[in-house]
Amino acid sequence: MAQAAPVAQPELELATYEVPEQVTLLTDAARRLRRNRLALAGAVIIAVLFVVALISMIWTPYPTWLQAVGPTYQGPSPQHPLGLDQAGRDILSRIMGGALITVQVGVGSALIVSMIGIPLGLIAGFYRGKVDTAISFVINIWYGIPDLLVALILVFVLSDALHLIPRGVFVIIVAYSLTRWMDVARLVRGQALALRERDFVEAARMAGARDFAMLFRHILPNALGPIIVQATFAIPAAVLFEAFLSFLGLGLPPPTPSWGAMAADGYHGMDFAPHIVLAPTIALSITLMAFNWLGDGLRDAFDPRMKR
Amino acid sequence: MRGTVFYIGQRLILIAVTTVLVSSIVFLLLHQIPGNAFLNETRASPASIAAALKHYGLDKPLPEQYVRWLNGVVHGNLGESLVNRGVMITPLLIRETSVSATVGFFALFVTIGLGLLLGVLAALRQNTWVDYVASSTAVIGYSIPSFVIAIFGLLVFGHYFYVWTQGTVFYNPGWGDWTQIPVPAIALGLPYAAYVARITRASMLETIRTDYVRTAWAKGLRAQVVVLRHALRNALIPVVTILGPLITGIVTGSVVIENIFGIPGLGKEFVTSILARDYNIVIGVFTFYAALVGLANLTVDVIYPALDPRIRY
Repeated sequence: MAQAAPVAQPELELATYEVPEQVTLLTDAARRLRRNRLALAGAVIIAVLFVVALISMIWTPYPTWLQAVGPTYQGPSPQHPLGLDQAGRDILSRIMGGALITVQVGVGSALIVSMIGIPLGLIAGFYRGKVDTAISFVINIWYGIPDLLVALILVFVLSDALHLIPRGVFVIIVAYSLTRWMDVARLVRGQALALRERDFVEAARMAGARDFAMLFRHILPNALGPIIVQATFAIPAAVLFEAFLSFLGLGLPPPTPSWGAMAADGYHGMDFAPHIVLAPTIALSITLMAFNWLGDGLRDAFDPRMKR
Repeated sequence: MRGTVFYIGQRLILIAVTTVLVSSIVFLLLHQIPGNAFLNETRASPASIAAALKHYGLDKPLPEQYVRWLNGVVHGNLGESLVNRGVMITPLLIRETSVSATVGFFALFVTIGLGLLLGVLAALRQNTWVDYVASSTAVIGYSIPSFVIAIFGLLVFGHYFYVWTQGTVFYNPGWGDWTQIPVPAIALGLPYAAYVARITRASMLETIRTDYVRTAWAKGLRAQVVVLRHALRNALIPVVTILGPLITGIVTGSVVIENIFGIPGLGKEFVTSILARDYNIVIGVFTFYAALVGLANLTVDVIYPALDPRIRY
């Protein structure tokens, strides 16, 4: 019949429009992240950090604790690319060992902070009422105090005084998480407050979903973007906290190759052997920078206002 | 006006409650520690330990000690140092607060001054070399911890430029010479200056594209007037909102900076007392910090409506 021509017409027109494609939140974010060069650079540095941390678990050029592998305070040389510290320990090996500690502290804290903050935030935002009032009160009070100093005291009390947890990476993660879950909780609470009014949550409720299923199957996945961003920013904050504690001599005990402790060791001999203090501080700064760049990139990638 | 006074009163009460609450937590935490403060005194006889415990009231049950401490706090008496007997904590900490506050004030000055300058320049010269230099400085500077900047400052000014500075920056015995202030203040303020610069740039970029700024230009106003009075004043609002966390950050940072430079302030006292197990001072420093941060936040909130008349209490 004479219907062949009209059929061809919309096809031609369709080609000129951009057809919306099916993308999930994560693939969409990943695509935008790949275009952000700074974030990519951050991701590469973080990948290197993780690889170095893994390698240091099975091999370092010298044991991180071994003293007097050469003259103390020796500068960089072919055998010891980053030189030796005040006890004659190989700094490259210790930087590698420090990478492992950095990864443990950063990732561990981000995980535990999320594990505390997400459920509390969800409950506060979803149930509102008295629970919300209580949780929000704690969050608001906590915003007005120097929380890292509370964490510092917690490390001291938990490990040195009560001997509950041996002084090490774990006690730092615990102390950090107990004092810094509020950021995540506040964020998740806001997201839950907004999402619980949305139609798909209403639909799930009508379909007979239990509260638990609604929280974890419908609300949490939709709040995932900002949570990932917040967790990424928690990593450098925790790493900095560990370095800060160890620098003051209140963090990890001496043979541990923590970057903060290495900086503290080196700064007494800074005028004649600056390499001891430069290596850990530069490593720390680059690591923090990489996580901040990746975090910024992720935030831009997940932010719907940036949508093409 | 009446609303503002009421608001300030309300906040002051909240600050007092927060301070007491936080230092109570620290008090209870530190009093969970088994043993007592004098067990390490090797030459002490049981009788003298008992006398010391009685002197500090540490022989009483915990609830009674707590009530006694709380009563002291309410009256502004934080007790006596456990290590240096006879040293009252409140006057000691007030003296140290003035030192810390001086450094902190200059650090805040560096943070806001430098941050605003870089941010405004970057926004006004967007996508030129000025912007690139300022923005990359900000994105790098934000990630460098203050103690790293302090170490570099010490290395550069105390060692490499020793001839130029004649060592006056660090080797003067004691505290009180103004030449000792700039390097610690810059180290403390610089990371946050980078942060302020980023926020200022973003909000300036938004503001200079608004209609009222275009109107100001069209009226033929001078550039300074447009930038300072029309654009910057509105661009400042997001900057003021981060002042609270910023002050907390500077307080936390001052702990490590004061230890690096040997500044006799609250932060140095805090670490020294923890290492010396002088719990009374640790609790006292905490009470001071909580009150200081609370008051600083209140100040920020009170100047906020001056910038943004839409906000009232």
